[in-house]
Amino acid sequence: MSQATGSHFLLETRGVSKDLGAFVVAARFSPDGRAVGFALGDGTVRIAHLGDLSDWRSTTVHDGAVLAFAPDAAGNGFVSGGDDGTLRRVATDGTVSEISRFGGKWVEHVATYTIDRTRGLIAASAGRLMRLLDQSGGVLKELTHPSTVTGLVFDAKGKRIGASHYNGASLWFVAAKTDTPRQLEWKGSHTAIVIHPEGDAVVTAMQENALHGWKLPDGQHMRMSGYPAKTTSLSFTRNGRWMASSGADAMVLWPFFGGGPMGKAPLELSGGDGIICNQVACHPKEELVAGGFADGLVVASDIASSRVLPVSPPRHGAISTLAWNADGTRLALGTETGFAAIVDFAKH
Amino acid sequence: MADTNVATEGAPGAEPGTQVPVTVLTGYLGAGKTTLLNRILTEQHGRKYAVVINEFGELGVDNDLVVDSDEEVFEMNNGCICCTVRGDLIRIVGGLMKRREKFDGIIIETTGLANPAPVAQTFFVDDTVKAKTRLDAIVTVVDAKHLPARLADSHEAADQIAFADVIVLNKTDLVTPEELAAVEATIRTINRFAVIHRTERAGVPIEQVLNRGAFDLQRILALHPDFLDGDDDHEHNEDVASVSFEVERPIDPEKFNAWIGVLLQDKGPDLLRTKGILNYANEDRRFAFQAVHMIADGDFIGPWREAEPRVSRLVFIGRNLNRPQLRRGFESCAVD
Repeated sequence: MSQATGSHFLLETRGVSKDLGAFVVAARFSPDGRAVGFALGDGTVRIAHLGDLSDWRSTTVHDGAVLAFAPDAAGNGFVSGGDDGTLRRVATDGTVSEISRFGGKWVEHVATYTIDRTRGLIAASAGRLMRLLDQSGGVLKELTHPSTVTGLVFDAKGKRIGASHYNGASLWFVAAKTDTPRQLEWKGSHTAIVIHPEGDAVVTAMQENALHGWKLPDGQHMRMSGYPAKTTSLSFTRNGRWMASSGADAMVLWPFFGGGPMGKAPLELSGGDGIICNQVACHPKEELVAGGFADGLVVASDIASSRVLPVSPPRHGAISTLAWNADGTRLALGTETGFAAIVDFAKH
Repeated sequence: MADTNVATEGAPGAEPGTQVPVTVLTGYLGAGKTTLLNRILTEQHGRKYAVVINEFGELGVDNDLVVDSDEEVFEMNNGCICCTVRGDLIRIVGGLMKRREKFDGIIIETTGLANPAPVAQTFFVDDTVKAKTRLDAIVTVVDAKHLPARLADSHEAADQIAFADVIVLNKTDLVTPEELAAVEATIRTINRFAVIHRTERAGVPIEQVLNRGAFDLQRILALHPDFLDGDDDHEHNEDVASVSFEVERPIDPEKFNAWIGVLLQDKGPDLLRTKGILNYANEDRRFAFQAVHMIADGDFIGPWREAEPRVSRLVFIGRNLNRPQLRRGFESCAVD
């Protein structure tokens, strides 16, 4: 982490930014870490190459909006789901190819898992249907859920996929011969999902401004509530000690150690000014979390010390996405009004 | 929500004037809903609409931006049995907002047998939906010939009329003038406050259906000079009816919140829609109140006009309405 202190924003001295003119749905680093893809609400993806940040190439990927975006499972680009019902691959040179079609339904969620340099898994959902594909788009499984899938996530080993939906979540085994999911049940509308890095808990966000969780394997319930707004973003630290969440006027971090989160108060970072935190992203190596707020403010906060590093000023619209690269030296961010930036966190 | 405290400001994050108007089209299969929808979409009005449809019905829908959706209703976990919401609409509105600049409004077509409450409640319950969109009007298309039979065999037909801000009374060419008068009278017993348009082949001017600002209750309430009809009969049956009350003394917001909160808690399942314009004490602006079952919302909607009588009016549409009790309750909210 940078040693910068004071009230200046890292973006001013160590960042590049552009106004892309459309809602930034997601920013993601390519698997080799050399490019950032910004997926936009106008159906284009802008690709910034870190070697030459002067040129952000625009490529049209969907007829409509991009709704879901992830690093490719193998190779070096991205996979993109759109409201045109297609799942497409975008290479870092801007080449677009089709992976799968879902008819008239929106492709709302995409998750990828890299097995090695040439093999990986892609999961994509449209309505109740989730397709599990190999890296070249071959269909491995078609899995149907009781209602529309609202979130998709692989566990850290790529063995299981979690899908959130009404009345809970389904955990599917990637390699299972018969597809019977582990049903994690809790009444209500679940709208996002994460799996603990060690695979021993699943957490969902709910319509009622609360989180629900299940310890695995016993399925013990966890309730985390008190949010003034809906949680849309959840992120575990690398070691799984903390889970950061959006939906309050601070980054809310629940302890997943020492018996937590049950009966423990969460840690609140960078709060106090009444602005709702929209996005959280835990650093891939350190106990550090980035948070993006509804006024455009982005900060990074050290969890142990609660020290806050200002990253991007409260301008440019509500933060809609945050992403770290794999070694945690860069943070990409985007806003609802089309502002996008890449900030350098490397020690110089 | 079970919590019926009335907000004193707009929805969180709402930016006045930037909210996308949403029109909900309800009506039984065959009533002419899709015909009306296609008229709206093909008429040269220079506006673009996103259309959410749930059934590829008798007719295709000819529009650039058609969203195919399953009506997915869920119950909120708030201890309120009638608080059901369309989760698919929350997702669709969120998705559409990402491409915001490309359309002027959203039209949602419901399935024929749909209860309109979950659609309407979605616009009260979800903060994002409230911030980005406003429910412009619920438009119900009814078939003049078959409505009596529909009312006899289902709750949904009456509910669809009860929820309507605008009623398109279609297929008038298939009934006699006497039958038409009778069916219109039937509609009026259910919902005295909706605007009714008599049509053949859903031929209603588009501006009578879209951008109505139907939640500008003042306009609706002003249509009814017979507001106080003095009829204090206790309505005690399963039929949907509508009643209205007027109070001349200013209303105490705290008393009103306390009364309406308990009332909606107790009678929410029977109260399909509640709407009103309130003259709060020491306040120059009109307060608009509305509820669907137990879920309530309210906001100031601009100043009273000069020469406009500052009276508070409240309308209930529902079942088992106890008129004297409702009247006494509303009157007790006046300042001392």
